[in-house]
Amino acid sequence: MQVKYLPEKHIRDSALCLLAKYGERFGPVERPPIPVEEILEAHLELQLGFDDLAKRLGVPDVLGATWVRDRRVLIDQSLDPTQHPLKEGRYRFTVAHEIGHWELHRHVYQADANQPSLFDGPDKPSIVCRARSGKDRQEWQADTFSGDLLMPEDMVYLAWEERFGSLEPYVAVDEIADLSAKWGLGEDDHKPTVAAARELARVFQVSGQAMQIRLAELGLICTQVPPPDLFSRPGTIVRS
Amino acid sequence: MPGNPEFGKRIRGLREARKKTDPSFSLRRFAQTVGISATYLSKVETCEFPPPASDKIKRMAQLLGEDPDELLALAGKFDPALSEIIREQPKALADFLRTARDRQLTDEDIEELTRQIREKK
Repeated sequence: MQVKYLPEKHIRDSALCLLAKYGERFGPVERPPIPVEEILEAHLELQLGFDDLAKRLGVPDVLGATWVRDRRVLIDQSLDPTQHPLKEGRYRFTVAHEIGHWELHRHVYQADANQPSLFDGPDKPSIVCRARSGKDRQEWQADTFSGDLLMPEDMVYLAWEERFGSLEPYVAVDEIADLSAKWGLGEDDHKPTVAAARELARVFQVSGQAMQIRLAELGLICTQVPPPDLFSRPGTIVRS
Repeated sequence: MPGNPEFGKRIRGLREARKKTDPSFSLRRFAQTVGISATYLSKVETCEFPPPASDKIKRMAQLLGEDPDELLALAGKFDPALSEIIREQPKALADFLRTARDRQLTDEDIEELTRQIREKK
């Protein structure tokens, strides 16, 4: 289903507003990690569960699915962190992603629920999220929401400053090149995660990859050589 | 393996009621405190898997503030401590239980007897 365009600021505000509302009810969340399961289960009062989703839905690589009318979210059991602790980051990102669908897209499906389709079985989820599917607008919005909720901007800046003593960005080009050479990665592979991203990932309980993407978005890690800037001193980068 | 609908629905209902005021009753945290995986708890609650072992059910009852014997009974189990109690006085207690069964005592009859025993000096 095609959802409408949302500015990034709208998505970020939705995530922060949800966190604030959770805080009003259960006590403020001042430090990471963000309690995403508690937000989904206790605050939004959705039912969370685990299942073999590929088997249940008959499509491969499903990470999560949301049944809007039943207020139910299922996560693929391969991500259960009580059985697979290394999947913790990926699991939490998927939970936050499904919360993103609930916050940003549920009204589309609630409206649609009044027009039952002949082709929909009773157990058909409203939204199915797959690992390798091309990211359409709806999936992109949920991913953005997930990043904003798990790694709120202010908390990331604060954590960075606490750890590294200033908000000076880290130009990670050399470290990435070294790691890529060590692991034999090519230009088209995912960029390896640098030590600073891995360290903060533990604080926010997200994957190193997600943390690195967030740090790059916020201008704290530069994964490419910054272009020369006439208005800044050599060797410094001005964040817009 | 078939699940147990009465038990699964009861646990989910109790946990969901508690979690509205206390987030520690989330699926994962509750499962971890009980000592089972989140997937297993999820499937017990949706009646796909059978209830867990008696000691886990007793722990669930303790956390949810429910009578452990009632939850154990729903799961078709009983407190494993009972076997120990019978083992301590095997002849007399076996005789006592068989008599109660042969006389077809109702729950009320047994509760009345229990009360009388409690009051006995």
